[in-house]
Amino acid sequence: MRLAIPHQQRLPLAIAALGFLFLGLFLLYPLFNVFSASVLDGEGEKFTFANYVKILGRPFYRGAVINTLTIGVAATITTILISVPFAFALARLPVPGKAAIIALAAMPLVLPSFVSAYAIVLLLGRAGIVTQWLQSWGIGFGSIYGAGGIVLVYTLTLYPYVLLPTMAAFKAVDVSVEEAAQSLGSSPRRTLWTVTLPIVIPAILAGGLLVFIETLENFGVPFVLAEDMPIFAVEAFKLFVGETAPNPSSAGVLGVLLIAMTSLVLLIQRRFLSSRRFSTGARSAPPILRVGLGLRILATTYCWAIVLLALVPFFAIVVLSFMEFRGPVLHPNFSLANFTALFERSTRPLLNTLMFATLAAVGVTLVGVPIAYVVTRMRSAMASLLDVIATLPFAVAGTVLAIGFVVSFNSGWLILTGGPFIMVLVYTVRKVPFAVRSSSAILHQIDPSLEEASISLGRSPLQTFGRILVPLMLGGILSGFVLTWVTIASELSATVVLYSGQWRTLTVVMFQALEGGGGGIATAAASTLIIVTLLPIALLYRLVRRYELST
Amino acid sequence: MTGIVIAGATRSFGTVRAVDGVNLTVGDSEFFTLLGPSGCGKTTLLRMIAGFCELDAGEIRFGDKRIDRLPAHTRNIGMVFQNYAVFPNLTVAGNVAYGLKARRVTAADVARRVDEALALVQLAGYGERWPHQLSGGQLQRVAIARALVIRPQVLLFDEPLSNLDARLRVSMRGEIRELQKSLGITAIYVTHDQEEAMSVSDRIALMQSGRLEQVGAPAEIYRNPTSRFAAEFMGTTNLVEARALGRGGAGMISLRPEALRLDADAPAGWPRLGGSVAHVEVLGPITRFDVRLGDGSLLKVAALDEPHRTLTPGTSVTLAYDPARITVLP
Ligand SMILES: Nc1ncnc2c1ncn2[C@@H]1O[C@H](COP(=O)(O)OP(=O)(O)OP(=O)(O)O)[C@@H](O)[C@H]1O
Ligand SMILES: [Mg+2]
Repeated sequence: MRLAIPHQQRLPLAIAALGFLFLGLFLLYPLFNVFSASVLDGEGEKFTFANYVKILGRPFYRGAVINTLTIGVAATITTILISVPFAFALARLPVPGKAAIIALAAMPLVLPSFVSAYAIVLLLGRAGIVTQWLQSWGIGFGSIYGAGGIVLVYTLTLYPYVLLPTMAAFKAVDVSVEEAAQSLGSSPRRTLWTVTLPIVIPAILAGGLLVFIETLENFGVPFVLAEDMPIFAVEAFKLFVGETAPNPSSAGVLGVLLIAMTSLVLLIQRRFLSSRRFSTGARSAPPILRVGLGLRILATTYCWAIVLLALVPFFAIVVLSFMEFRGPVLHPNFSLANFTALFERSTRPLLNTLMFATLAAVGVTLVGVPIAYVVTRMRSAMASLLDVIATLPFAVAGTVLAIGFVVSFNSGWLILTGGPFIMVLVYTVRKVPFAVRSSSAILHQIDPSLEEASISLGRSPLQTFGRILVPLMLGGILSGFVLTWVTIASELSATVVLYSGQWRTLTVVMFQALEGGGGGIATAAASTLIIVTLLPIALLYRLVRRYELST
Repeated sequence: MTGIVIAGATRSFGTVRAVDGVNLTVGDSEFFTLLGPSGCGKTTLLRMIAGFCELDAGEIRFGDKRIDRLPAHTRNIGMVFQNYAVFPNLTVAGNVAYGLKARRVTAADVARRVDEALALVQLAGYGERWPHQLSGGQLQRVAIARALVIRPQVLLFDEPLSNLDARLRVSMRGEIRELQKSLGITAIYVTHDQEEAMSVSDRIALMQSGRLEQVGAPAEIYRNPTSRFAAEFMGTTNLVEARALGRGGAGMISLRPEALRLDADAPAGWPRLGGSVAHVEVLGPITRFDVRLGDGSLLKVAALDEPHRTLTPGTSVTLAYDPARITVLP
């Protein structure tokens, strides 16, 4: 045995070491501190399970667990119910404007869901515009506060998670399998149920689990809509903010339980779904079915209705932000007063949002792309471990990671609390899994012999990475950058734990306005956020189009 | 230019010994081929030389310089890959210039040498094209130009022609051989195609399960295989027990199909065997047929096409074989 590290493994090993260091310090260490907070007493000295007993013994927190899970399951089911027919229509039925539908359907993924929730309140809440209008006609309807409203908003904002993979799966079905079933005497309807649907079920479930995890971790939507109903992420936040003892043991308990739930779901997904991928080896997308006019009109109406319905809240917010608010009460006059009020106090929140998003997106790219390189190019236990750790943030709610950061970095050799970098770092860590996933997907397409060719021509592995891999990945890296930038700009759950003083962001302004009832500022902040989100996406879209046209 | 010495090279993957104690000396300017069935370790051995695969034991030298611990990018090797590995983000000229720029050659020299190299592979004027505008054969020429232009000590080819169609494969292998000879660069070529190996190589190393089975000039291995595997892998042969030919000894005998003739065409001194025709294939220049002998064994025979003779299955024939062209195997 030789102990020296083989030269062709030095670069991946160096990257892996840096990756472990970064994730160890800014992911595992904070999470460990959350865990240890949960098993230590209030003074942070003695080991105890008393915190768990105390929290789980309170009906309020048991209710929180039940509410969170029930809402998550309900939202997952409704999402699947509306998305599967939608996906089938897009993949197999003659629906006009498909490209536009798909582009619009992806938008809720990048738009902040709590903005949608807030719009629902403004429209359908107690003093909502639609509510009052209906009341003037003597029509009433049930309250949108509580579970019903939350499930509605989740369904409208999370359905693309199921729609997009399911549509891809429907398109990947090999028609010859369907033809085989029909030649064996199966009617088209029966073929759909017995052959086509079973093939796409893994994609549906994978999407559904993403929805479920998102609902468990979401902070903004229940914060706006839950009112008195206890929801996990919100209660963890309230406990942490309200905790006065030096050790945030109760918040720690909720954090650990939340991570346990999401990890469990992720594990189930890995266990059962990875072994149930049916690859059918389709050579080309299956043909569009020929259907009668009635079904055609029905499918078209259905698709457009869902896509537009999901975007109405965002549209409404933008419109409302140009109207006059007196306190929380809306008056239907055009006015720029909300924006003046928002920006005349300070433009810092907007600048902070732009700056943090940019720094964190750069960080995510710098951390995620090299880790993806190691994970795809090295087949070893170490690479798999790095992969697992880099996926872990996905199972950690922003609130919990933020609590871990505060506990870990408010004293000692590295103090981050009170400054801007704590937010940038938390955002970076949270988005690393997405960067690793998307970069791995690109790297899998790049033949490793290109790297070997470059090395044998005299470029070192590091130079090869810069001169061959980075240019080949550039398109993908750029779109990944824009997507992370956009989602970071509207991050709320970690931000509300971490912001301080001058480092407020737009989402914090909106959050505080909601708490204080300043409807005008909230709508102005929300619509600024929508513009900040959509602008880069539109630019990216144009850039990609131009690039595609030129090649 | 450089000779290559490989001494005791060994590499295992898990329980598989991909390369198992290989000793080999490749002469200066020699065209040397590693030939063997899929999975026998050819690629692994080649990648050891290139620096993409660590040795568990043994060493590799270029001349008297030991290179097996040098990083791959410092070995000054030109490598041509099975799937071309032409950089899609660079033009043809950019691809060929890539290694020169790594060596900090001046811009004027780069331009001149790129043009020369492209002319050498008959791609003069293609410099500004993008890889996706080229055919498979042209891409392989780019890959060869890119490997040649750096004036490497050694050229390595890993099944460079296996993605091309049959005709192009034949013409390209001739070109590769000519280029290598005119430049005098030592070359190691990997293939599993016996005919390709015989047509281009000065010498061939026949590999099996990570070991060298036989090393020699193509005709020598073909005519004097030292093992059953070598006899069967290099072309077609009949393996018969010595007894069946009426000879002493317990070994097997390799009898090439072209060493057998019909009674009428054979010199009088050749030994005869009786049997009946079992199967006939007229392939154009030659006719192949199988003859079943009295003891039930089949002999494959190849004869030049004779317009006046038509064999049909079932006919009784007498065969004769050239006693000088049989190989007794251990
Ligand atoms: N990176 C690797 N990890 C594990 N096993 C490997 C690796 N590379 C090669 N092997 C194994 O080593 C043996 C030799 O492989 P090698 O690629 O050298 O064969 P080859 O002669 O080039 O075959 P082919 O003609 O199919 O290309 C095979 O059994 C292969 O499975
Ligand atoms: Mg090979």
